[in-house]
Amino acid sequence: MKLSLLRSSMLHIVALTLVSGGYAQVSHAGVIDTGYLVDQEVRAARLDRVETLLASDSVARQLESLGVDKALVAERVQALSDAELRLLEQEMDAQAAGGDALALIGAVFLVLLILEVLGVTDVFKKI
Amino acid sequence: MVELEPGTASLELVDTPFYPQEQFQCGPAVLATALTSSGIAVEPDDLVERVYLPGRQGSLQVEMLGATRMSGRIPYRVDGRLQAVRDELAAGRPVVVLQNLGVAAIPKWHYAVVVGIDTDRGEIVLRSGVDKRRVSSISTFLRTWRRSNYWGFVVLRPDVLPTNVDRERYLAAVADMQKVGQREAAATAWNAALETWPGDPVSLFGLGNLELAAGGNVEAEDHFRAVIALNTESVAARNNLAIALARQSLFDEARREIALALDNNDDPTLEAELRDTEELVESLAARQY
Repeated sequence: MKLSLLRSSMLHIVALTLVSGGYAQVSHAGVIDTGYLVDQEVRAARLDRVETLLASDSVARQLESLGVDKALVAERVQALSDAELRLLEQEMDAQAAGGDALALIGAVFLVLLILEVLGVTDVFKKI
Repeated sequence: MVELEPGTASLELVDTPFYPQEQFQCGPAVLATALTSSGIAVEPDDLVERVYLPGRQGSLQVEMLGATRMSGRIPYRVDGRLQAVRDELAAGRPVVVLQNLGVAAIPKWHYAVVVGIDTDRGEIVLRSGVDKRRVSSISTFLRTWRRSNYWGFVVLRPDVLPTNVDRERYLAAVADMQKVGQREAAATAWNAALETWPGDPVSLFGLGNLELAAGGNVEAEDHFRAVIALNTESVAARNNLAIALARQSLFDEARREIALALDNNDDPTLEAELRDTEELVESLAARQY
């Protein structure tokens, strides 16, 4: 899947990032992580060092764009397992966010908005 | 599937703390409740910066788990069955659940904490929102819980295993603690696991990796050898053993182990690490001479 030249240069990038305090987990070169011995599901969800870096980076940017303080993002990303990182990287928008906000779907919102403008409803406090 | 066994007694954890939630912040409130129950004194305000996502006006499930880990507690997913919830309540642990209080098309996602089940009246008691005791019929509760695919978890102290523990799920949870850097909790948990499952290779391997990270090369060697004794084909254990040996300047032994690992390996996803270890052994050996 990866050319060995590409892999070693990516590893150098990862190593530099780890030293400079990037998001990727500290893991020494060559050490196989404990997840490898857990069941099939966990094993399949493992991220290698490059994937971890990329996923962490992507999730961090998404969290930041959703209003998380830049200074806090790294720690939040670091709290997640490989499978969770992968999930957020691919599907953050589809993930439920528990908070009681009524997530009105687009069409319903549009209808309400039109009715509001027409003076039929008074659902919104301010437009 | 989700029903309780007939004749199950009612139960309520009345001492579970209560943190009324602020707007959109059922995540921090619920997490504070569960963490405090497990012995970590924390307020919802302390957790806002760990789980609240302003752009979504709520908290993501995986971040609830992550924040639990970073508090030194193990988040353990429970089966989506009332009996499983009750088993945890019986052990003194309230259960965090995600409900959809709306409908599928217009969801209203909400975290709450199950603290009691009244089997006579068919009711669930929750710490929920601004209600210290929100009582819901079992059927309503199940309907709202079903929409999250019965998602729920408990907060475990690292020295305690869940009731009717699912071994793989538990080991995975501990491995995740280790991955995020909660080493003390992971060590405690691996040892608790070994008391329940003596000689468990995952726990031994996990402890070995903790030692490697802490510079305990001799101890790491012991743990990895224990894994190999249980399974001589263990490529991962031989790989990590090679590293522990090389760090002790035992280069010939290290070379033997990594050669055996490479020989026995039929998993392409390990190839890169095995080669890295081979290089590491040689580079450490070269520095000696």
